[in-house]
Amino acid sequence: MEEKRCVECVLVESKPDIIIDEDGVCNVCKNHHASGIDESQEPEYLETDFLKIIDKHRGKGKYDCLCMLSGGKDSTASLYYIKEKYKMNPLVFTFNHGFVPDEHIQSAMKSVEKLGVDWIYFQTDFMKEMFRKIVKTKSKVVICPVCSLWYMLKTYEIAAQWDIPIIISGWTKGQTTSSKKSVMSKCACDQDPVEYSTMANATRDFMNNHVRTDPRYADFPASMEDVLTIARKKYKTKAIVLSPHWFVPSHPDEYVKVIKEKLDWDYPVRSYPKKSTNCDLNFLASKLAVDNYGYSHYHIEMSNLIRMGMITREEAIALLEIDYDKELLNPILEKLDCKMEDIKK
Amino acid sequence: MYILGISCFYHDASACLIKDGVVVAAAQEERFNRDKYSPVFPIQSINYCLQHEGITSYDLDHVTFYEKMYLKFERTIVSHIEGFPFTYKNFLDTMPLWLKDRLVVPLYIKDELTFNKKIWFVKHHLSHAASSYFLSPFNQAAILTVDGVGEYASATYGFAHENKIEIKKEISYPHSLGLLYSIVTAYLGFRVFSGEGKVMALAEFGTPCYIKEFNELIDVREDGSFRINLDYFSFNRGEKMHNKKFIKLLGEERPEDAPIAQRHKDIAASLQKVTEDVVLKMARHAYRETKSPNLCLAGGVFLNVTANSRILNETPFKNVFIQPAAGDAGSAIGSALYLYHSILNNEKRTTMINSALGPHYNLSQIEIILKNKRLKYTKTSTSEELTKKVAQFLADGKVVAWFQGRMEFGPRALGNRSILADPRSPTMKDWLNLTIKHREDFRPFGASILRERVSEFFEFDHDSPYMLYVAHFQKKYQGAFPAITHINGTSRIQTVRREENHRYYELISEFSKLTDVPMLLNTSLNDTEPIVCTPLSAIDLFLKTKIDYLAIEDFIVEK
Repeated sequence: MEEKRCVECVLVESKPDIIIDEDGVCNVCKNHHASGIDESQEPEYLETDFLKIIDKHRGKGKYDCLCMLSGGKDSTASLYYIKEKYKMNPLVFTFNHGFVPDEHIQSAMKSVEKLGVDWIYFQTDFMKEMFRKIVKTKSKVVICPVCSLWYMLKTYEIAAQWDIPIIISGWTKGQTTSSKKSVMSKCACDQDPVEYSTMANATRDFMNNHVRTDPRYADFPASMEDVLTIARKKYKTKAIVLSPHWFVPSHPDEYVKVIKEKLDWDYPVRSYPKKSTNCDLNFLASKLAVDNYGYSHYHIEMSNLIRMGMITREEAIALLEIDYDKELLNPILEKLDCKMEDIKK
Repeated sequence: MYILGISCFYHDASACLIKDGVVVAAAQEERFNRDKYSPVFPIQSINYCLQHEGITSYDLDHVTFYEKMYLKFERTIVSHIEGFPFTYKNFLDTMPLWLKDRLVVPLYIKDELTFNKKIWFVKHHLSHAASSYFLSPFNQAAILTVDGVGEYASATYGFAHENKIEIKKEISYPHSLGLLYSIVTAYLGFRVFSGEGKVMALAEFGTPCYIKEFNELIDVREDGSFRINLDYFSFNRGEKMHNKKFIKLLGEERPEDAPIAQRHKDIAASLQKVTEDVVLKMARHAYRETKSPNLCLAGGVFLNVTANSRILNETPFKNVFIQPAAGDAGSAIGSALYLYHSILNNEKRTTMINSALGPHYNLSQIEIILKNKRLKYTKTSTSEELTKKVAQFLADGKVVAWFQGRMEFGPRALGNRSILADPRSPTMKDWLNLTIKHREDFRPFGASILRERVSEFFEFDHDSPYMLYVAHFQKKYQGAFPAITHINGTSRIQTVRREENHRYYELISEFSKLTDVPMLLNTSLNDTEPIVCTPLSAIDLFLKTKIDYLAIEDFIVEK
């Protein structure tokens, strides 16, 4: 059956979460219209609010903040603004679960060197078996949220270790489906939005049935709520997560221009969606999500950006377009000791 | 050097950013929070100004505030004490505002902006004076400021030379021409701040047959100084500032929704006449005292276009300058420029060329919204194509919303956020008032005309880039432009030069090629809410009203 795609955003009909009406509009867009919220008009928070928050914590320790840096445009721009515009002294943290291309790491390293900031690079293959399980068990869990549990936990651990009160991310407005206040305090762990419901349930099932039962992952957090609890109770940190992108109404093209000029940054040769800097595992993650739900977390992000007036639907469709061929997926599957047959429905 | 100027907590809150003495950004808070005449701390305007320059408050060298709050508080307390016990209720109502916002302005600024350097407070009328003089092309000038009230002063005259301003005399509260105008505005059933312009328009429908009564209310001397007869007023004693004696003198007040009778029009005409007479006398006195050929005007009273025109035509001054945000919004600029020039002793070099100091939106931002809203639009490939097409629509009798470049600062739309139409149409005025602007039928529309052809159509040959003057049509054109002609045969005019607004100039030129009329009806791009700021607001307005086309940057949107 041909997929039914919302005429306003890029979500695809996927019952029970996404239902498209006779006018071709999905329930998420309809709810958005009904809420009367217009994100494209005014930011929920202003840049002066951001300054108020960061100034409360400035200068209290060796580092003012911990910047999560993947080497992509959003986190690189965040780091650049934190250092140069907001004049903070950041400690930078890059996480590699074994599937981050060297090109991205080099890009992160270059930015760190140009800005003259301290950098922690953390590489591990600890999660490899978990990723393999996702493929082998044909779980409907989306890989990326699982991975984010681990890197957020490591981030909080480092923040606690260095007594850093603020964690700076490169998360864009499109990645914050709930209010920014909620993201700041709960680290985007709420899975209330309808477009995430089934995905969130699949994550919970996978964590309970395949992760928690494995002695190697006995301490692995089952959810972002768990991450926050561990951060609070074990690491004794109350660090908050902020992204400058939530406070400044600038288009990616504008800050990409800045980091290209100032940090000699460029888009990686290969990444998904186009014009992003995501790890290789991400190809597999989005392929499996699309197979299971008709859309991936990137479709959700792009749809949010469309509703916020930051991108056209046509642009989003073009950015999301991909041919998941063997050449692309085989090397990733091989790294996980899996085969193409393992991901066939 | 960056200086941020702020004006707020009464009405028309605004912020501006000065870079090395040049105004690089300015905006009124109402445009962002969509609350007309919004008085609140202009945090969104401030964010806009800083982001326009790509800086934060860390990069600011100074912040200025447009008045001295403690002086104003002193005046308020004294006024309450004098009127006690009748002022008690008003005292209880206003004190929380003072304690919450006004008296803690320095803390407010420090907290909201994370700003720890010095904050400068410039006297209200000095801010007004500076807003006009330092943006004018003059190196010396007489200055007149008239408004409701600042700290104590309600009107001043002074003299400016190079980077110094000297206030020579002032009239103090409660003697206030601006306040008198507002009191009568409220008495006539209109809202203060928004209704004064309506009273000015209404005045032309009446005869000034209440002059004798107004002479009871205000005693005007030959030098333009005056005293209000306090027997007729009850300041700080409740919601209304006129008393029973006032009503005995002029008759019952008009409720907001009551019909407008001839008596109301005559009272409006009398008020207008008195106002004009006072400011004319003030201006003549300022000339006698300073002998300067140049005059700078500021303060809310100088948004009164009829009074301005009489000053221009009937005083010995050769040149008159009024900046477009003559009211309190412009004082944000005035306070910042006063600091830069007069206190920090920097040479005067700024001249305002146009009022486009607000946000602008790039093509891709606009096209995203047009596409995602699934609107029917075309993208023109050249400015010439756009202006030719829009000119043709206008010549065909269509109404066009014109959204171009940076938003204007001040209450007038001057060709960047405007609704445009053919001034020749006999039905256009009523159509616009009824279906798009939703306002009183007696209110006229202004015109934008090519500067070089203004004297051909009007008995007027001056620059009027901010639509702050009215002019009579030349005899042969009387009655030819009903959409922009007021009952008295005048029109409020904006002269347009190519160097001030290239695309708008080209549009009027194209319209002229089609019609041999080098002017357009120009009214602000709004309904009853503040003038639109963003593309989305413009699109919403376009979709909910009977505007035929929206020309937004290079795009033409149709329904």
